[in-house]
Amino acid sequence: MDSTLEAMGLEEGRYRPTDWLGGWKTLFWSCGLLLLANVFLWVWDYKYAFTAGLNSNSHEFTLRYRTLFWGELLTVGAFAGIWYGWLVRTGRALLNTEITPAEEVRRIAVLWGIIGATSLSLYIEASFWPNWDGAWHQTMVRDTALTPTHIPMFYFFFPLSVVLALGAYLYGRFRIPAVYGADKVFPWSFFLLIAAAVLEFVQVAFNEWGHSLWLSEEFFAVPFHWPFVTYGWLAGGMFAVWGETILRLFDIEKAIRVVELPRQTAAAGS
Amino acid sequence: MASTPVALSGAERQRRLELRELLNAKYVFIDRTWDAVFWITAIFIVAGAADITKLLFAGDWDFWTDWKDPQWWPVVTAFATIIIPSALQYIQWVAWRFPTGATYTCCCLFLATWIGRFFQWHVAESYPMNFVWPISTVPAGIILDWILMKTRSFILTSLIGGGAWAILVWAFNYIPLAPYLQPAQFMHHVLTVSDVQGIAYIRSQTPEYLRHIERGALRSFLGETQYVSLLFGGTLAAVGYWVGQFIGRYLAVWPIRRYIKTL
Repeated sequence: MDSTLEAMGLEEGRYRPTDWLGGWKTLFWSCGLLLLANVFLWVWDYKYAFTAGLNSNSHEFTLRYRTLFWGELLTVGAFAGIWYGWLVRTGRALLNTEITPAEEVRRIAVLWGIIGATSLSLYIEASFWPNWDGAWHQTMVRDTALTPTHIPMFYFFFPLSVVLALGAYLYGRFRIPAVYGADKVFPWSFFLLIAAAVLEFVQVAFNEWGHSLWLSEEFFAVPFHWPFVTYGWLAGGMFAVWGETILRLFDIEKAIRVVELPRQTAAAGS
Repeated sequence: MASTPVALSGAERQRRLELRELLNAKYVFIDRTWDAVFWITAIFIVAGAADITKLLFAGDWDFWTDWKDPQWWPVVTAFATIIIPSALQYIQWVAWRFPTGATYTCCCLFLATWIGRFFQWHVAESYPMNFVWPISTVPAGIILDWILMKTRSFILTSLIGGGAWAILVWAFNYIPLAPYLQPAQFMHHVLTVSDVQGIAYIRSQTPEYLRHIERGALRSFLGETQYVSLLFGGTLAAVGYWVGQFIGRYLAVWPIRRYIKTL
């Protein structure tokens, strides 16, 4: 095997870090699962919102919506627990191992995959569901905080975005130490991105409290809805994550040139 | 025309050599897949941020045809829709010198709003699309980018582009709106077609006092109402442009490789 390829961590016959079925696999799987979950929840609401979602005291509501609410929270909670546990446990073991350039690039691609999924989740919660939320609440009387449009949006995609953003940081914290290692303390990029996701919860609480005073959605652009925009704005931190990992890629390329080119030149001369 | 050779300073020559080296560099791991993944996955967050900003600051004026009035619509829409295009304009200009940030954002917003309006308002809630169609900011975005490309100044782009934004968003969306402003007789009253839509399609949570949103006071300006609103909308759009610049500068670019040292 070519010693240059070996030094970079590339193996013949295996996918390279930037092959679509190599490092980018995470992006496709995570976005695919998110889209599947979204289609399921949309079809669920389409089927049951009008038939079971109008009266929160009814048996049908309990059957179709309260179970969905608890099911969503349990699913997201279990996913977070298992994923974080795996990230931390395997990450600690990886911290003391040597990392090749190819492996680090693959991990950056995986991080981009998680960030891509976070981006999709934020779109779903910031645009896809708020459109139905607006349509529903401007036309249907609200008698609970757990309305058919709130349950997928507030109690599935909102916590999922927090889980994905925090998981992306944990991934970087243990697997890309050159950018997010313990010695760096905490990056502003992830601080803003995670803050964006966490602030949503604060705003959900404020929103529901507000609606306990003003039940109807006379205006969708009502002032107590305005703080929701902060998560769209703070998610600008995602661009900083992309930026700092791109800079790391250039550092890796530079290191390869510094180490490998003199070696190749020496090999050619001998 | 013969070009005149320019004497380059040592620093400038060095900078150009470095740029040439960067351009000709052969990379092992950096390839077009990174570009593809970045530009495609960024669509989601850009669309989400732009749409939530529009929904929560100007949503009602965009949801319904009868809310697209000459008094409030040009004001709130201009402010709400320029914020994220401005942020992306900064990011793309600083990173690549691409004068495309506003157009990119407006295309993302266009896709997101049509998906939301079609699947949620039309399919799920049964409102006809000709009552809940969203506006488009794409033509205004192209011209905002053109202004940045020509002026190479964010200050000038905010001053010229802010005013232009309000006018362009209104002008380009007035074309699809105009048919709904035609007079119609409804229950012995003369209303616009859009007002008839607003009465015919029930919005049970929207009270009667909000249904006809035009106020009587500005009737005294007659046709001038919308021009006064556009002037004010342009002023607010210039302010909104700098809200977007803050997002681009301090929430997206400034944090790159910066760390919180104490927790």
